Amino acid sequence: MDPCEVEFLSEKELVSIVPNFSFDTIHLISGSVGPFRAGLPVKVPIWLAVNLKQQQKCRIINQDWMDADSLNEAKEEEKLSKLFTKMPSNHYMEEAQLLLNVASDDISDADRIKTAIKDIWDIRMSKLRTSIDAFLKSEGLHAKLDHLTAMEINSVRPLLPHALDQMLRIQTGGRATQSHYSGTSQ
Amino acid sequence: MACCQSYIPDYFAITDILSTEERISCKIEVELPGLGFLDSSSQSEDLTVGTKVELPLWLAEPLKSLQNSVVSVDVPKIYKEGYREILEADAEVIVLSKWNPFYYELGMHVRKLSDRDYEIISESLLQTFKSRFQLVMDWSQNATSDPTLSIQLPRLERDLFLSGQQAKIRLVEWLKMGTNELVVSEITTNLKKRKREQYEFD
Amino acid sequence: MEDNGDVTMTAEDDGQEEEEVTAQSVLLAIEEAWLNEKFAPEILPHRSDLVDCMLQQITHMEENMKRLDKEDLRLMIHRMELDRIKYVITNYLRARLEKIEKYTIHILSQEATRSSEECYLTVAELQFAKEFLANIEMLFKTIALQHMPGNFQTFEVDTLTVKPNLQAYVFLRANDRINGIIVPGSMDEEIDLEPGSQHIIQYSAVADLVKSGAVKLI
Repeated sequence: MDPCEVEFLSEKELVSIVPNFSFDTIHLISGSVGPFRAGLPVKVPIWLAVNLKQQQKCRIINQDWMDADSLNEAKEEEKLSKLFTKMPSNHYMEEAQLLLNVASDDISDADRIKTAIKDIWDIRMSKLRTSIDAFLKSEGLHAKLDHLTAMEINSVRPLLPHALDQMLRIQTGGRATQSHYSGTSQ
Repeated sequence: MACCQSYIPDYFAITDILSTEERISCKIEVELPGLGFLDSSSQSEDLTVGTKVELPLWLAEPLKSLQNSVVSVDVPKIYKEGYREILEADAEVIVLSKWNPFYYELGMHVRKLSDRDYEIISESLLQTFKSRFQLVMDWSQNATSDPTLSIQLPRLERDLFLSGQQAKIRLVEWLKMGTNELVVSEITTNLKKRKREQYEFD
Repeated sequence: MEDNGDVTMTAEDDGQEEEEVTAQSVLLAIEEAWLNEKFAPEILPHRSDLVDCMLQQITHMEENMKRLDKEDLRLMIHRMELDRIKYVITNYLRARLEKIEKYTIHILSQEATRSSEECYLTVAELQFAKEFLANIEMLFKTIALQHMPGNFQTFEVDTLTVKPNLQAYVFLRANDRINGIIVPGSMDEEIDLEPGSQHIIQYSAVADLVKSGAVKLI
């Protein structure tokens, strides 16, 4: 899947904004948003927040977890942990990209937050590569992907599933791949 | 496909067609009158028992699989013990595409034609793939890597490498959008374009 | 524009609250169907119930939007949302068409064994598949087969069949708790899925669970 599509999915997540206009509740198909009262925070989907921000109709309040100090703590924890730690959002990378891009003037410490998130991402990506190699060498048939987020999973597609597919072909002679549902391939 | 499936051979698969063009050495087991032309080194009209000929896989396979095999197949040396040992020692440093551009595909065919070595060739192919995968993954994750790298990989690894590299390039492009505030995501751009068009038509 | 939320899903619905929940849940179900279709190797049972329902919603919404002033804030917001929903629906339908084009013969032969209640294709998709196959056959015959010697002129449906690789590995998230999935290729190794847990496994092990909605592909 294209990263833009993962981003598209992440845009459904909610974020608080402070509108500079007042308006009644708007009934969207995906649920209602509002009412908007100038100066009062309200939660809206990110796609809407980004658009209102671009029209200078609101200020974006950064997500609770977008705090440089706690992110740096999370980073240290990520470094020390052998396993993946739980992220504050399944779309942390996309949310950070979207919100910090459009609203860096609203978010204090935007640069430190950005750096911390990028560091966490890098640590996790290198962990991911190591664990993929270990998983393949172990000839595992199934893996649990605890705490991996949407963009991280997408980043190993198609390489990981395709490599496993090819290993299966080598093991089973490839003819079994044309058979019906069953584990009879060996 | 929007989300592509991994390669498996089917009627239309170019990789399958090309890999079965590979020639392997066969020994004639049954006298074949009038087919002497298949052996370019001899002038005789017939193919006699014991003659060695190089046949493409797509021909050798059915001849071997007949109830009374017409040919027996020599396992190519790259799947024999000596070469398997080289791979066991240090698979990552071998330019496997030089051994054969369809190293894995050919191996998967050849093992079926060999009377004894199915298991041992399969195991060797699998271990080779596993020990080289880190290399394939590392190369593909390095978006700026040397364009000649893919030529060094046999087809099966090369396909993985290229699809991995493609995904990596897209990811890097997406990540870069953060470095320039003027660039918005593709989807938002499209939405805005459409929005503008609609205003114009209104 | 109060009536925007007033889109009637079915004749029985009256309370506005209830309808909104329904529209929202239909949208969520379409999004899930979209991702499942995108990642499953085989074509999945069609969800034209969801698609038709959502298309009605869209039409209704567009009607309502005509009554809005051009400067109205809601106009822009509704348009953005509709664009997002249309993207999901078209991408979903396109993923199905791609599979129909790739696995035409296989899908048609499977479909022939299914009753009209269990069929995977919509009427329109079935017609598309049949016409696509007829066109392929015509193309093969005109371009190549008619120039072959007599015994090579048949359009060999069996040889030309391309099947999806049901053993392909997929990523999934469990919606419900599921016990005792047998890991394909193992010696009776069983795994349990906790709700919300994520896994990578061969599609064949979870195909039925994808269709029943117990897991979703991610």
